[in-house]
Amino acid sequence: MQDQRSNRAGKSLGGRTLAYVLMIVVTALWGAPILWMLVTSIKPESEIYAYPPAWIPDAPTLEAYGALFQRFPMLTWFRNSAVVGILTTVLTLAVDALAAYPLARMQFPGRRVIMGVIFATFLLPYELLFVPLFLGLNSYGLVDSIFSLTVPASANAFGVFLLTQFFQAVPRELEDAAIMDGCGRFGFFWRILLPLTKPGLATVAIFTFVASWNNFFWPLIATNSDETRTLPVGLATLVGGAGMSMKQSVLMASAVVATLPTALFFLALQRHFVRGIAATGIKG
Amino acid sequence: MTSLASQPAGRSRARRASAQEGGAVRSGMTLAAYLFLSPYLALFIAFMLLPTLAAMGISFMRWDILGAPEFIGLDNYRQIFADPLFLTAIRNTFYFVFLTAIPMVVLGLALAMLLDQKLKGTTFVRTVVFLPYVVMVSTVGILWGWLFDKGTGLVNYYLTTIGIEPIAWLKDPHWSMPALAITAIWWTVNTNMIIFLAALQDISEELHDAATLDGAGPWQRFVYITLPLLRPAMALVTALTIINGWRVFGQAYVMTQGGPEASTFVIVQYIYLTAFQNFEMGPAAAAGVVLLLITLVFSLAQMKLMKAI
Repeated sequence: MQDQRSNRAGKSLGGRTLAYVLMIVVTALWGAPILWMLVTSIKPESEIYAYPPAWIPDAPTLEAYGALFQRFPMLTWFRNSAVVGILTTVLTLAVDALAAYPLARMQFPGRRVIMGVIFATFLLPYELLFVPLFLGLNSYGLVDSIFSLTVPASANAFGVFLLTQFFQAVPRELEDAAIMDGCGRFGFFWRILLPLTKPGLATVAIFTFVASWNNFFWPLIATNSDETRTLPVGLATLVGGAGMSMKQSVLMASAVVATLPTALFFLALQRHFVRGIAATGIKG
Repeated sequence: MTSLASQPAGRSRARRASAQEGGAVRSGMTLAAYLFLSPYLALFIAFMLLPTLAAMGISFMRWDILGAPEFIGLDNYRQIFADPLFLTAIRNTFYFVFLTAIPMVVLGLALAMLLDQKLKGTTFVRTVVFLPYVVMVSTVGILWGWLFDKGTGLVNYYLTTIGIEPIAWLKDPHWSMPALAITAIWWTVNTNMIIFLAALQDISEELHDAATLDGAGPWQRFVYITLPLLRPAMALVTALTIINGWRVFGQAYVMTQGGPEASTFVIVQYIYLTAFQNFEMGPAAAAGVVLLLITLVFSLAQMKLMKAI
């Protein structure tokens, strides 16, 4: 979210004032729910339903977090989500980068067809796949395993699309020189192409990790024990049935815990991320 | 996505040159290309292509997990289209798409334009708007489920301060879907904003300056410069918004479980219920194929429309 432009609308004082008013409104509307989640999670029981709503707790406490970890297998769910997220991200980066290299930089029969088929899956509603995938994995006894949560998700069309754009931008001369030096195609890919396209890799990493961390429907189907259940599926059980009687502070604490890893991951890679998006063919 | 088709001229010239180097080099390159592609292709075939074909096959079969599958033609399709719940699901999902599509595109563009200006604080505001992107659907559901609570929710509290009577939101069949739509906009408009921001940063400054010199006002510059140059981004954003709208499930599942009175029961929940709670794989696969056809028709119609404008 770095490079900014000259002020188009904001040249006059009036325009600038209007822009600032709008920015404050936007910040309030988008920030307030997140802030409310944080504030409620550290409120003692007596303050949760205070009227009018209090944005600053009188006596902040971490007891909701204690209750959350005591009553639910949060650590197990958390660990499962982390393992699934990291494995999916690493696998997707590897598979997508390997596929994007020839699509971006080599000429071979079948290239157009493969490109077309891969990008058509952009528009595929994945929910279509879940019945056959479940039946297939079930017949190999692979349902309710880490395998079913990671491997099927790793052929990711978006990653290939994004990395193809990045790989095309690397000058031809570099590749010719590297291959001339006896580096080989894989050597060029590994030692030159990948290091040069870090913003692209970071962008794919963010998208993949966040998507995996937040993935809901497939893990809902493909897991049926706390041993493999991921955070989104586990947390959903908090609100159904028994969860309705749960204290809002505990629910909000669960929300904070679930959001922390992706928020930190995003904030850490944010710089790369926006450069990554800006460098794709997505732009106008 | 247009840039995929149009390669830079320099590259194609280089390619033509390399193509003349002879068959040995070319077949070496083909072998190398497919070696690099093979892990992706293997996963793609196993977990994307075959399941898609299998889904279509299963939609023509009677299959209740235990027994052997049996071909029954279009019976599954007849069954789901005779099921009032499926028709309700289609109607509800369409309503959700209707409620979200235009605001998500318009607001996405408006936010991008607001935050594309060179003003102090835009970076911060962009981060705030983008933050909901990293929040998972269960959490979004838990959080907004409370914000929309009739008695203790913040939404009603602030509405009453401006004189609006409390609304039962998630408990009222008339308001449940709009509440889900508002949640979805808060949660995902940032993706559209980012795509528009990237596109806006690509529009040359000189173009705007030249137009200003020629006496064009801000509105004219928007209509005659910005909008036409945003067309590819606009097409992508609209397609993704509509397709994702048809795929809605998690929020409805967590916030309302499809209720009240099935007012938020959507197509994907129908698939979930049919396949994984009633174990009727055939009708569930048929519902999946219907979902695919609907998104296909909408994407094609949208592409036609974008070309016409």
